[in-house]
Amino acid sequence: MNIKKHWWKLLGVVIVGYTLVAGLIVPLKPGVIGVSHKNANAGDSLRMEVVGYNTHFEKGKEDLKLWLKGDTTFFIKGQDVAIFDDNTLEVTFVIPAMLPFDQSVVELSLLIQNGIDGPFILPSAIFVTHSPDSVRVHTDEWVEKIDLEIGSSVMAFPFRNILKETIRNTYFHVPLWFTMIFILLGSVFNAIKYLRTGITIYDEKSSAYATIGLLFGILGLLTGAVWAKNTWGAYWSFDIKQNMTAIALLIYFAYFVLRGSLEESAQKGKVSAVYNIFAFATLIPLLYIIPRLTDSLHPGSGGNPAFGGEDLDNTMRMVFYPAIIGWTLLAYWMGNLLYRWQTVKNKILFQ
Amino acid sequence: MNLILPLLAVSKNADFLNSIGKIYVVVIVIMVLFAGIITFLFRLDQKITQLENQIKNDE
Repeated sequence: MNIKKHWWKLLGVVIVGYTLVAGLIVPLKPGVIGVSHKNANAGDSLRMEVVGYNTHFEKGKEDLKLWLKGDTTFFIKGQDVAIFDDNTLEVTFVIPAMLPFDQSVVELSLLIQNGIDGPFILPSAIFVTHSPDSVRVHTDEWVEKIDLEIGSSVMAFPFRNILKETIRNTYFHVPLWFTMIFILLGSVFNAIKYLRTGITIYDEKSSAYATIGLLFGILGLLTGAVWAKNTWGAYWSFDIKQNMTAIALLIYFAYFVLRGSLEESAQKGKVSAVYNIFAFATLIPLLYIIPRLTDSLHPGSGGNPAFGGEDLDNTMRMVFYPAIIGWTLLAYWMGNLLYRWQTVKNKILFQ
Repeated sequence: MNLILPLLAVSKNADFLNSIGKIYVVVIVIMVLFAGIITFLFRLDQKITQLENQIKNDE
């Protein structure tokens, strides 16, 4: 085997292997799974149970601090912390009778910090009901400003309360769609080449790449369904992106039905090449425009995909982008195998 | 300590897929992905076997 000719196949395998290892062994950042109270009234004294994930309550107990956070100047400090283990503790919050907010229900987040874990937060941990006519007067019941320390910086993926470990599916589900679009782009490129030159090789390449594109699309739907079942509660939620993708894949199914129904080689090539161009042209609005115009369960609903913040931070990028490259290389390899099989088959048939 | 019991009960009753931060969901997603790739390999294998048989019959 000539390594100079096959280096990209090896590269694809190495990259996909790296994303599997890195995507699975890098831990999640510490986070809060849940608290025992969801609602409270102003003036309550709450004894709250806190269950953490990947936290070090016991090991970092010297400088462990907890707050309920309203806005950037409103913090209620936790008192009488009782630690059971690294992931469970109890804390008392004395909620003031007067809260400096206009709404009658105030959403407070739980902010926890220690030297090992650094600061981390449970957004909307508790809803406090109070009479909103109170004026903002500073009392000792809440602190105006707190100092946050940075924890020990180990490489870790973001902790999202709904996703938890399934945030790792970003490397095993999302790249399949990127791979699909790249390989289908290769397919339409070869379809145009075939229309310009009439050389059969391009038609066969175009068809082989479309097959692989469809395979990756189906795998994207299946992996997405598994993820959705355990995050959104159903395999299929009739989310705009799910529906549009299903339509797009059906359009590509029709491509193969069309190819199968035409006997004569030149006619088959021309008709399916033209269809391929139209299919790819409909793919763009179906996958990239319509889902952005409306609400979606997918990140970035009603706007651009949330390829930033806690959906995709810099640590995740170090696995996510290589995963796209690795799978695209493997898909290209698979497409070429299919195309080579087709060429050999044609040679044998026409002998 | 009374408050911890309901929370722990929830996590104990939770099904297998929801345990350990839902890591098994990731395992299933990876298995589905590789099942697809392996299905492709098997089908290609079958197709090539057919060609080989054809060559054998022609000889």
